[in-house]
Amino acid sequence: MMAGRHFPSGASVPRLRNLPVGAFAAPVLLLGAWQLACLTGLFPQQVLVPPSGVAKALADMAGSGELQRHVGDSLHRLLVGFAIGAVSGMIFGAALALSRLLDAALSPLFLTLWQVPVIAFVPLMVMFLGIDEPFKIAVVAIAAFFPMALATFDGIRGVPRNWFDVAKIYRLRLHQLVRRILLPATVPAVLTGLRISLTRAWVVLVAAELLAADSGIGQMMEMGRQLFQIDVVLAGVVVSGLIGFLLDRGARWVESRATRWRAA
Amino acid sequence: MSLHPQARNEHAPASISRGALTVGGLHKSFDIGGAPRKILDNINLDVRPGEFVSIVGASGCGKSTLLRLIAGLDTDYSGELRLDGERIATTSLDRGIVFQDHRLFPWMTLEQNVELALLNTGTPKARRAQIAADHIALVNLKGFEKAYPHQLSGGMAQRAAIARALVTEPKLLLLDEPLGALDALTRVHVQNELQRIWMAQRSTMVMVTHDVEEALYLGDRVIVMSPNPGRIRRIVEVDLPHPRDRRAPLLHRLKDEILAELTSGADAAESAGNLVHLPSREAR
Amino acid sequence: MKHQLTRWPVRLGIGLIVPLFLFLWWQWQGSAHPSAFAPPAAVASALAELLRNGGLLRDTLATLERAFTGLAIGAPLGVAAGIAMGIWKPVDRLLGPLLHALRQVPMIGWLPLIGLWFGVGEGTELIVVSMSAFFPSMLNSHAGVAQVERRYLEVGGIYRFSTFQRIRFILLPAAMPLVMTGLTQALAFAWISTIGTELLTGAGAGLGVAMQAAQVQQRLDIMLVVISVTAILGFIINQLFRSLRQSLLRWQPAQS
Repeated sequence: MMAGRHFPSGASVPRLRNLPVGAFAAPVLLLGAWQLACLTGLFPQQVLVPPSGVAKALADMAGSGELQRHVGDSLHRLLVGFAIGAVSGMIFGAALALSRLLDAALSPLFLTLWQVPVIAFVPLMVMFLGIDEPFKIAVVAIAAFFPMALATFDGIRGVPRNWFDVAKIYRLRLHQLVRRILLPATVPAVLTGLRISLTRAWVVLVAAELLAADSGIGQMMEMGRQLFQIDVVLAGVVVSGLIGFLLDRGARWVESRATRWRAA
Repeated sequence: MSLHPQARNEHAPASISRGALTVGGLHKSFDIGGAPRKILDNINLDVRPGEFVSIVGASGCGKSTLLRLIAGLDTDYSGELRLDGERIATTSLDRGIVFQDHRLFPWMTLEQNVELALLNTGTPKARRAQIAADHIALVNLKGFEKAYPHQLSGGMAQRAAIARALVTEPKLLLLDEPLGALDALTRVHVQNELQRIWMAQRSTMVMVTHDVEEALYLGDRVIVMSPNPGRIRRIVEVDLPHPRDRRAPLLHRLKDEILAELTSGADAAESAGNLVHLPSREAR
Repeated sequence: MKHQLTRWPVRLGIGLIVPLFLFLWWQWQGSAHPSAFAPPAAVASALAELLRNGGLLRDTLATLERAFTGLAIGAPLGVAAGIAMGIWKPVDRLLGPLLHALRQVPMIGWLPLIGLWFGVGEGTELIVVSMSAFFPSMLNSHAGVAQVERRYLEVGGIYRFSTFQRIRFILLPAAMPLVMTGLTQALAFAWISTIGTELLTGAGAGLGVAMQAAQVQQRLDIMLVVISVTAILGFIINQLFRSLRQSLLRWQPAQS
């Protein structure tokens, strides 16, 4: 089993596997199996709707504009909350990393609050903010704030000391130091933080919408559950998975584009 | 000094079955970017039982590939490769190897690492600990049995790797730049150890190195290889009894000869290309 | 100035300033509007009351039981699946696409579907918590086995290891650090999703249920007690797990 893998030795088999066909085969097979399991009556309609049923539910909701409204509302909340949380997290993390006084004054409180799962703040925030938009945006912002602050802090603190020596040797000015060394050196950590914040924010938003909302993907699923519309619930699962996947992939793409100078 | 007395090969006379390596008309190519690239070209070499052979050459001359083929880690070759007449088709406990990186398992203590090599030798469980302890003593690491690899210095870890390779009593021990990662002083120290161990064990050893001095100090013969594709350029007999004195004039004379060989002739054109051309100051 | 800040009593003092101000502000707000802002004294008496009537203990135990049951179901399955996928390519091809598709959905997003299938209750909560523990365990174990360095596998080849020996002596121990990372994440995820599912289903006992009830009854004092308990428990569990991890991975150099 091991002997054959030492060096690329011109075998044509591995190349066949690399064809994009392989990448699509598995999901297609999966959907096929799902469809088949439903058609054969293995699962009754009330338990599992076939992919075609989910597609129909999605098409119906898209036709009535309902789907667009839910997705649009969710993404709007995500975007606004994430922007607020990520930017303030970045500023907070950078301030703590650059000032020892702020670090000493604020990091104990920060680290204590960080122990609390964001979701545990949800009922507290409902008490103060109600269940309207400000509440959902605040939840997303808090979810994005913590990982962003930590990533920025670690990124700046992680710049090797001897790079500052290099800057000194070439007598770089402060703005040159920031532009040429500090920013590029912290970009990878900050981008990773952005990606983690974004996916966390999405997870927390879906949970918050399940709990209390009048629109959004989470609310769509919760309503579907209460009305026993299994196709709507499944459509929600698919859409929320797809959005989470695309957010993660998009953020990874940005990450790899912006940090191409790093060794793969 | 044989550390486990049970006879290994009762069916064959000991004189010729103790690690005679035959390399005949050996060729090896790799596929690089779809095109085959010759790495080893017609290598012929006979290593006598109990002999210490060193292989030197510039990087890219295929010397490590040759060693991996002999070890059986890579079996895709054409030509002859036999140990005591038997074709090499896979790895075997008859052929031990020490890598440049010690490759001790970081999750095991030194003694566990050495004992692990005995797992498939058929040695009774009760005897394994004793055999391992004997070999740890052989490489002067008594007292470090319970240490994890990260707690050992580079030289100690490499000696431990030698103990692990020897514990199966291989007929042939392969050494792939075993001291390449050590600092100069530790290196000299482990070279002396290696010479002492070889004289005690008298198993066949083939060592790849890029250090000509080391090759001469330890080797009965030194194989000089040239790159692109890897060929044997010259075989140097080192007619000097062991243990050797590093200051022996013969070693120094041979060293100058081999170094001249390695840096001259066919390589001249290439090395000229490697020169660093500084931009002239006037141009600025 | 810089040197003074590295001394711990100074750091501690500075670190307490902001919380102290927050505390005073809270006290002041609380006494001005006692109905909207429960003052510290009210929180303390709520804590005393919850301790006396046993509600806090019951909720805490229920949540702990739920989280650890889910962890005990999801994590071993995840580790086993991840390791099997890392060792045997066919298993990876068979299970990989399905599992990677499923993990894209936010875990709590499964709650409506699973609730529809099994009814809103203990079983549904356990499934979601188990799934939350399953995925990080699986992903990290898979990565741990997949990235075992070939040079170590070659050593196994030299000493003629059987498949079993290769798994037992090389793949498993080499994957251990990442497996432990996966379990640490699984623990955190199980904890969070336990609180989350309790909040959403609101059935039986549990810290999340208590939070939800406090929100409905507008009892800020109880809410703050429960949130604090959640935070402290999360912290303690993490610390315990970290020391367990360190004793299991003694062979690693001290840096981690």
